Amino acid sequence: MGWFSGSRAPAEAARPPGLHSQALKALLGGLRPGSRHAVLDLGPPLAANVQFLSALSCRVRIADLHRSLCAESIESRRPEAVGALLERLLPLAPGERFDALLAWDVFDYMRPDQVSALVTRLAPACGPETPVLVLASTEREIPATPLRYRILDPENLTCEGPREPRRASPRHTQPDLVRMMPGFSVRRSVRLRRGLQEYLFIRGAGDEPARAGVAGASRGLSPRVPWFRRGPL
Amino acid sequence: MWNKREEEPIRSPAATPAAAAPTATGERREPAVIGASISIVGDVTGGEDLTILGKVEGKIDLPQHSVTIGQGGRVKADIFAKAVSVAGEVHGNLVASEQIVIRKTATMLGNLSAPRVGLEDGCCFRGSVEMETPAPKGRTAPAPGAPVAGGATPASPGAAAPKPEPAARP
Repeated sequence: MGWFSGSRAPAEAARPPGLHSQALKALLGGLRPGSRHAVLDLGPPLAANVQFLSALSCRVRIADLHRSLCAESIESRRPEAVGALLERLLPLAPGERFDALLAWDVFDYMRPDQVSALVTRLAPACGPETPVLVLASTEREIPATPLRYRILDPENLTCEGPREPRRASPRHTQPDLVRMMPGFSVRRSVRLRRGLQEYLFIRGAGDEPARAGVAGASRGLSPRVPWFRRGPL
Repeated sequence: MWNKREEEPIRSPAATPAAAAPTATGERREPAVIGASISIVGDVTGGEDLTILGKVEGKIDLPQHSVTIGQGGRVKADIFAKAVSVAGEVHGNLVASEQIVIRKTATMLGNLSAPRVGLEDGCCFRGSVEMETPAPKGRTAPAPGAPVAGGATPASPGAAAPKPEPAARP
């Protein structure tokens, strides 16, 4: 169990090696010191991450989207019901705003229509330049359940969780993600270790890259894996 | 003499009570327990620690004391307390003046607000975490010795329960 207090600064003790994330650094760097921020974490609850973000004066909202989706009935996960489903799983209060979104690898475990509906739903709650951190696997297979990404320091992560069993990876490309994320454009894209590609998306800003991405996506989503193999069962 | 065991107070075997809290007079008292077969609809207030193993719907207001929701306990209520520990299921917002702990067996849907929060890896939690010392808003501490379940009424099929706040709000 992790204990944390909002008054403490992140520990700077020696850390084990992890993933060096420029996108995380940029995302956190955009949070102005001294003011309150709201961060939406689409991944599972991790005490260390809440501790870290709370020390940066962040109010952290945990969505645990994969677990929530898997707990739903197959009926409610049909494409035509995805809007109502997300409204129930991720209710937004009027005027609720987020200063940053942490998607981690959650999109690898959702159908493209679910990702699009989610992003469309979240876009009004994001101001201009709101950053979104997305990790996408470039490998053929991924763990059956999302890994847990623990923030070690402003630019380092570790990923934890069972690697077996495995399932087919959607292998989302940048154009795939741009197409699934209307209203957002890629600010930064870096290849990490362990077959991960990290993206920093920005709300609204950078129309030019967004257009380029959409144009690139016009050839459609990656055909390597059928769409019905990509999302939760 | 031979029936000494029978004279001992009856305790729920499933209880996971919080540590006995000192009362205003300095004596330490075992927490009150809402047993696994008990359902309460209404507001719960009081002057001692509380362990919930049954069902509670409404509002729990124990600003000077600890509230423990044991494994199997189910709560649909906002909870105001000094410390809150959740191992069961809670739908509602938690506000604690000292700390909140969400155990790995917990299912917690709602917002947390406390100076210290503990989340055990593996817990099911959806909501937001705010690290601020909660300011009491028009609430006064109940008088010592006030009934634990004051104002509570037994659950009935047609009983209208106060609606808790939505799980997510700014």
